[in-house]
Amino acid sequence: MWLIRSAICALYPGAPGVPGVAELDLDDFLARYRREAPTLMWLGLVLGAVAFTLSPVLTIGWPLPSFWLPRSALDQHASRAAGHRWYLLRQLVMIVKMSGGLCWGQHPRVRAIHGVAPYSADPGTWRAE
Amino acid sequence: MTHLAYREAPLELDADFVVVGSGAGGATAAVILARAGRSVVLVEAGAWRDPADYPESSYGAMRDLLDDWGATITRGRALWPIVQARTMGGTTVINSAICVRTPGDIFEQWTREHGLEDLSTSVWQHQDRLERELAVEEVPPDSRGRSNLLAAAGDAHAGYDGHVMLRYVRGCAGSGQCLQGCKRLRKQSTNLNYVPELIERGQTVLSSAPVDRVILEGRRAVGVRGRFSHPTSRRRGGTFTVRARRAVIVAASATHTPAILLRSGLKSPALGRFFRAHPGTGIFGCYDEPVDMNQGTTQGWASTKFRTEPGLKLETLAIPFELVASRLSGGGSELMQRLGEYRHIAMWVHACRAESTGTVQSGLFGKPVVHYSLDRADMERFRLGMHLVGRWHFAAGAKAIIPGIHGMPYKLGPDQVDQLLEAPLDPRAYIAILSHLFGGCVMGKDPARSVCDSSGRVHEVEGLMVADASAIPTNLGVNPQHTIMALAGLYAERAANAG
Repeated sequence: MWLIRSAICALYPGAPGVPGVAELDLDDFLARYRREAPTLMWLGLVLGAVAFTLSPVLTIGWPLPSFWLPRSALDQHASRAAGHRWYLLRQLVMIVKMSGGLCWGQHPRVRAIHGVAPYSADPGTWRAE
Repeated sequence: MTHLAYREAPLELDADFVVVGSGAGGATAAVILARAGRSVVLVEAGAWRDPADYPESSYGAMRDLLDDWGATITRGRALWPIVQARTMGGTTVINSAICVRTPGDIFEQWTREHGLEDLSTSVWQHQDRLERELAVEEVPPDSRGRSNLLAAAGDAHAGYDGHVMLRYVRGCAGSGQCLQGCKRLRKQSTNLNYVPELIERGQTVLSSAPVDRVILEGRRAVGVRGRFSHPTSRRRGGTFTVRARRAVIVAASATHTPAILLRSGLKSPALGRFFRAHPGTGIFGCYDEPVDMNQGTTQGWASTKFRTEPGLKLETLAIPFELVASRLSGGGSELMQRLGEYRHIAMWVHACRAESTGTVQSGLFGKPVVHYSLDRADMERFRLGMHLVGRWHFAAGAKAIIPGIHGMPYKLGPDQVDQLLEAPLDPRAYIAILSHLFGGCVMGKDPARSVCDSSGRVHEVEGLMVADASAIPTNLGVNPQHTIMALAGLYAERAANAG
């Protein structure tokens, strides 16, 4: 879980006036994701996080896991990993990016900044009879 | 009779017909049979969610409405997602309800290449009925939103002969939530009309009830069997068996229908083959003024000018904000900066009338496995679609476009649009999806090259029919829901009147 969190935070670090995903209930989101998502989907996210963590040597030439990179190098890695020439790496990072985007983009603070209406809470209901 | 949801106890039912799937094909077939006085049990794999139950977020929609969270992907040169629903109403709940009549040349092609009778008159009669029943109308002016208005303006300059979309929507409110289910009850998905009508007519509807297989006795289909699946925990519940006195109609989608028939032991050489699609992708246009693409209808403007040559349909499409985050390239601060432009971008897309075919197999845990890749001719067509969409944006006044193609610049200016004609032909360079699916149980005259006949009756087995997109033997070049519904209605009408 920690590895996934680290990868998602690197991809959505925030910007002036815009919160990064680390400030937006990410832990709750990931706990829910793990509980609700199919196993294969969760496994994809784990693999994506592992690929992101181990690939700085491929993207910026640093033989370190991404969580040990200084901020500027991590940023460069996040950018290059998302657009890497190796399709498999790109796709794995895409899973992390999509999952992080779901958390970041549905948060009311981020939506307000971007002029998008907030979402109501998920009902989580269905017709039982 | 009634609606029977998830349960732990075993269940056994019987009826004249059992219909598997409650989407465009299944719900239409079931209601036509019920109107003809036949008893029907409709069996849906997903839960029954009413508009008040729809989640608004993409996360919630993936969890509650999409098949396998939208994680079904093609196996081929590129891993492209296959977007389908798993809920009462099927994909009619999560699409934009676009209504396009089956083009006349399609019927000619079916006759010429597949030996089918001319179905045009019958199909169009059913489409007349559907348009009345489901309140087909143009997107109202007040609901079009700026992206669609820009598209219309760009179309006028580019000469694409486009039009305001006709959709199965009664008084669109322009809430931009088509893809997550319309909570305003405007979109006429089948869970709001045909399925409730079945219950009013005394029929039985099962939800959270994925069918495992068709029960065969000799060369005759006599029912279906499966096991309830809990709507949230996916815990396995009781088994269910529904016996059909007259016929089993499978309408579980172009991926699930062939998978169910394969699991049931059918051996037709054409089963699972001739899978086709309209792969599509989009380009963001960047505009000076805010576009706010998620305000207004999700899809409101289209052009079919290029449907025949080179084989493309162009459309507007607003994707939810949180998915834009993963659709824009880059990561880290660069991505955050790019997302800052969100209010000024509009996505328009092309759907490619691809001729390549693939296969559907039944994989582990009953999930369909789709093998599908585009050949070079299709990729060239696909690339032309990118160029047409790019030109469309610039004709509408875009200052730049974001093509989202790996290996190309993040943005292109008006004088660079022709670079798209040299874009890679490798499908892995594109982020695309398959949204319109066809085949897998195609209809035709020759049992060696088709699974069912022009009435949806499976050649190999008596009392078994197919009534969804899997029966369609070609691509259409237009959105398929109207064709699927009309064909299913026609098949059901013939089945109700038979013997």
